[in-house]
Amino acid sequence: MRLPVLLAALVAVATCTETFVGHQVLRVVPQSDEELQKVQELQDLEHLQLDFWLAPRGLGLPIDIRVPFPSLQAVKAHLEAAGVSYSIMIEDVQALLDEEQTEMLRSSRQLPLDTNTFNYEAYHTIDEIYNFMDMLVAENPNLVSKLEIGRSTENRPLYVLKFSTGGTNRPAVWIDTGIHSREWVTQASGVWFAKKIVQDHANNEGVASILETMDIFLEIITNPDGFAFTQTKNRLWRKTRSKHSGSICVGVDPNRNWDAGFGEAGASGNPCTETYHGPYPNSEPEVKSIVDFVKSHGNIKAFISIHSYSQLLLYPYGYTDTPVPDQQELDEVSAKAVAALSSLHGTKYKYGSIITTIYRASGGTIDWTYNQGIKYSFTFELRDTGRFGFLLPAKQIVPTAQETWLALKVIMEHARDNL
Amino acid sequence: IPESGHKYYLQFSTEDYRTGEDAGNCLATVLYPKKKSPPVVSIKCSHTKDQKEIQEEDNRLYQRFRHQSKPITGNNIPDSHGNIEPALEPVWALAVAGSSSIMWEKSTETLGYFLAQVKSVRQWVREDDFTEFDFTVLLHEIPTQEIISCHMRLKWLPGQPLRVKHFCAAESRGADEGSGAEPGSAAGPSAENGANF
Repeated sequence: MRLPVLLAALVAVATCTETFVGHQVLRVVPQSDEELQKVQELQDLEHLQLDFWLAPRGLGLPIDIRVPFPSLQAVKAHLEAAGVSYSIMIEDVQALLDEEQTEMLRSSRQLPLDTNTFNYEAYHTIDEIYNFMDMLVAENPNLVSKLEIGRSTENRPLYVLKFSTGGTNRPAVWIDTGIHSREWVTQASGVWFAKKIVQDHANNEGVASILETMDIFLEIITNPDGFAFTQTKNRLWRKTRSKHSGSICVGVDPNRNWDAGFGEAGASGNPCTETYHGPYPNSEPEVKSIVDFVKSHGNIKAFISIHSYSQLLLYPYGYTDTPVPDQQELDEVSAKAVAALSSLHGTKYKYGSIITTIYRASGGTIDWTYNQGIKYSFTFELRDTGRFGFLLPAKQIVPTAQETWLALKVIMEHARDNL
Repeated sequence: IPESGHKYYLQFSTEDYRTGEDAGNCLATVLYPKKKSPPVVSIKCSHTKDQKEIQEEDNRLYQRFRHQSKPITGNNIPDSHGNIEPALEPVWALAVAGSSSIMWEKSTETLGYFLAQVKSVRQWVREDDFTEFDFTVLLHEIPTQEIISCHMRLKWLPGQPLRVKHFCAAESRGADEGSGAEPGSAAGPSAENGANF
């Protein structure tokens, strides 16, 4: 149908001068020569200002007429008097145009032209974030590349952005967000971090100095299946979307699935619970792909996994109350990082080992990475402390990302200075 | 305390839920007896807000609720993006207050709660002076991370404590809608009985 094309044309006109308030589009399907003639008569009445979208062609073929409001009564009377039946295809052309305009604006927002017009103050869909990543790479091909480290249970790509100024297998920092899909401020912050790294590099400030000797790996959507599920079915979904035999329940807690104290106290063996550790370590492709990446890279020096909420900075262990050998150093770095974070907006954070600060948790990410020899292993729990919890208002995304970034820089700089 | 249980000494500050303004400090002791029973609490708080001011605010809100042209209803407060319609903010505040009574009953020495979301709310028109609301609230349970769905019926008259009746689903959902035939987890005894979903 010509409808969409014509509407687009009308929008162009509408945005300039004309208005189509009250205009209707009528359809007549002439069944006889008399009926056809009656409609053709209308064509000659110029003062009616009729706009034929589908001109008369022959019997049985539709005739569509846009009728301006002032002419409506006359046209309908003319048709009715002649016994020509018609239907109203569009009740109010202007209303439809307004709707179309809104839709067009909305779609132009969904696909921003570049990472400068991207809206960092809003939550985005998976596709919008994937599109953002591609734009970032396209705009900064000498700094940013996109790696696919694996596929999720539902076969979604697991993308990692690599920020590097060169070298071969440089010591690196790893940051992941969104491993628990309902923690939306984390993926949103990840997007902001990506842009920030690029900006710092362009302005030769901030992390530009870190990038001289280290690479940064950033996995923004670490649990894409869960993320998609939070957008479509259940906003408070936490786990992956895997189905393991023997249960009708879905999903494994990706932060209980790592091979560190796996299956011990601090995780659940019940597939229907939120902290289900899975049938065996690394059963989840989302976890295994990171494990494989870390092992094959072999030179990761700092590993930071980002969650929400609670406003905490945590270091290992969660599965045992034995302190890590580097406890003192990690504690000092945490103190510094938290101070930097608070300096921006006054946000209060607590810090400490997982088991002493929140609760016992086994099979956790940073316990495994620490045991692999990655000393600077940290987990963040971002804003807030429970008022909005997972449903953090979008206007807090940027302040949260900004303050967190200051803490991340402290950790990265410390790692760089202690290589 | 040997043979007796665990006693906690707490000092904390409070703030207005809406504005974040300081609302006073409290000193409390909480004794969890060795045998599982509700804790023994003693608490004393200072008030920074003028009681008269509180009363006036309550009355204003009460009048608004009473004079609705049609009963208030709402869903997903806050929504997925954390937004709360300004008109529904007071209703959300009521849910927060009411949920705290649920949390008070459900929490233990090792189990705590936050209000994750108000799934739905509907106001009931009453013949008497009370305002009444039906809520479905989602509680976030720590450390299990479960989301517990509770039905809450709340009656309010300014000057009186909120009257709250609640019923929470016994087992949280690990599966999608409609399933849940799995036998219960190893979690502690559940006081409410009811359908799994």
